Amino acid sequence: MKLFDFSSWKLNQKLALGALLLGALAVAGDPYGGGKVEIDAGELARIVQDEVDHVTAPQLADWILAGRTDFRVLDLRDEVAYATYHVPGAERVPITELADYPLYRNEPIVLYSDGGIHSAQGWFLLRAEGYAGASILLGGLDAWKDEVLFPVLAENLEPAAATRLTEVAEHFGGQPRGAGAAQDDASYEMPEVAMPVAPAAPPPSQRRKKKEGC
Amino acid sequence: MSAPFYKFGMFGDEALLIVAFLLGIGFGFFLERAGFGSARKLTAQFYFRDLAVFKVMFTAIVVAGLGVFYLGWAGVLDVSLIYMSPTYLVPQIVGGLLLGIGFTIGGYCPGTSLVGVATGSLDAVVYGLGIFAGIFVFGEIFPAITGFFTSTAMGELTLPQAFHLSYGLVLFAVVLMAVGGFAGAGWVERRMAAKDAAAANAAAAQEA
Amino acid sequence: MTTTATRAVPLDAPVRSAERAEPHVRAAAPYSNPYLAGIGLGLVLLAAFVVTGRGLGASGAFSSVVAVAVEAAAPVHAAGNDFFAGYLGTSPLKTFLVFEVLGVLLGGFASGALAGRLHRRVEKGPRISTTGRFALAFVGGGLMGAGAKLARGCTSGQALTGGALLNAGSWAFMLAVFAGAYGVAWFVRRQWR
Repeated sequence: MKLFDFSSWKLNQKLALGALLLGALAVAGDPYGGGKVEIDAGELARIVQDEVDHVTAPQLADWILAGRTDFRVLDLRDEVAYATYHVPGAERVPITELADYPLYRNEPIVLYSDGGIHSAQGWFLLRAEGYAGASILLGGLDAWKDEVLFPVLAENLEPAAATRLTEVAEHFGGQPRGAGAAQDDASYEMPEVAMPVAPAAPPPSQRRKKKEGC
Repeated sequence: MSAPFYKFGMFGDEALLIVAFLLGIGFGFFLERAGFGSARKLTAQFYFRDLAVFKVMFTAIVVAGLGVFYLGWAGVLDVSLIYMSPTYLVPQIVGGLLLGIGFTIGGYCPGTSLVGVATGSLDAVVYGLGIFAGIFVFGEIFPAITGFFTSTAMGELTLPQAFHLSYGLVLFAVVLMAVGGFAGAGWVERRMAAKDAAAANAAAAQEA
Repeated sequence: MTTTATRAVPLDAPVRSAERAEPHVRAAAPYSNPYLAGIGLGLVLLAAFVVTGRGLGASGAFSSVVAVAVEAAAPVHAAGNDFFAGYLGTSPLKTFLVFEVLGVLLGGFASGALAGRLHRRVEKGPRISTTGRFALAFVGGGLMGAGAKLARGCTSGQALTGGALLNAGSWAFMLAVFAGAYGVAWFVRRQWR
């Protein structure tokens, strides 16, 4: 039948047929892949072993002091804890919303909770979703308290190092402790949160708009 | 699943700018191939003489749309990571109307005006200056219209979500509409060409 | 001999300036089959999605330039205006769109050079003067600039990119563009025909 004699068809008609076939075939499909998560257990284990999965509290403090804005800090605790105190610039994200939270897959993301359990679990979630930049604040907020806000100045510490620790602590509203102070001294009050509860960085949706809009 | 490559950290921000430049070259190249460096060719669309704007635009939409769909379905491309501009229904419609009016009056759109400038069109240069002026005025009155600018916000909304239909079905409908439109476009062009030829003949006969 | 009646313009012919003949310029190549050009464009757009996770655009680059200019002229005013401030910061011109737009200029030039379609000209119909054309081009550009900012994009960013992604707002925008353009076309027909 002449209609199906493809050699006689003009180029445009062949293209149109191809498009229609591809379009018709598409009716059955789903481009979102069903939201499946693929986990490479071996790779994750290697990351843990090589200890590239975490950031120490002093490191994070240095990043903040250097004015870096290319990383995100996520606080996985509840609202009350967040309002009482949070690391400057941290955004509060409940763990259930973590997977849907707008993040780039190639930006450093530091997760923390009070200790390390929730942040470790959140780390695993993000890694499974393909966020290669996810890392844990080693020791969580407890370590932030002990090493940044209220660092212990050991007696044999060099003066320059001691000065640095003091400067950092005071910048964040804390103060250093003497050599005889015990660790985990709960009597130290957390500094007042000077900034509003909303994160200091512009909210993610706004950031994305300026970076990716037309 | 390893695409979009940038979102998986395969290259950094500096390299992204190089990629943008290369993509731009391709973009500008094909726009000019289609003749969109010429305001006359572009506006001929709106007098039903030359519907290349419709043909090129919707072919590109169909090709890219089908490509995204199939790569996503195959699990190669993570479609949820592609930036979706949030929908602000009324501002976008009003903006679209203004843009359409500016298109016929000015003869270009921002992308094609660049191609016009690159190929020597002086009016494209003037048009570009007009764009700067328009954006400047917009920025100056922005504090007064911020409320309107952010009204009817619907978030990241796709047509399938808006009409509660499957993605594939909507895509197929788009393809059908496009192919049907292409057939119709050809017919319209031929009719208008015949009409123009008849009018020219009549005018020539009058002068003789 | 130019008459006042509408001339039938061959659809395929690239436009030459009505003012002067340029016998030394080699004949321009005819334009591509629009469907093939569209496929090329679609593949570039698809490449953008796959490699960078975003589509193409144009108007944002113009905005960056305007913001930089306003900042240079009146920094305090620029910083206080939410719209301009959004495009400023360190290296405001080191953006995806600015670099893309530079590429568009180069790509358009390359295609034009290959096809012999590079020549200084004023695109207009026979029934309007150059000055009139320039005035309308400026006004049109102004409307386009404001409209593009309201709609968060232009035909490249919203219609093409959003269209391919089945973005609802982009499709509404696209329909409005065609409606606006067709609605006004008759009133400015003297400019083109």
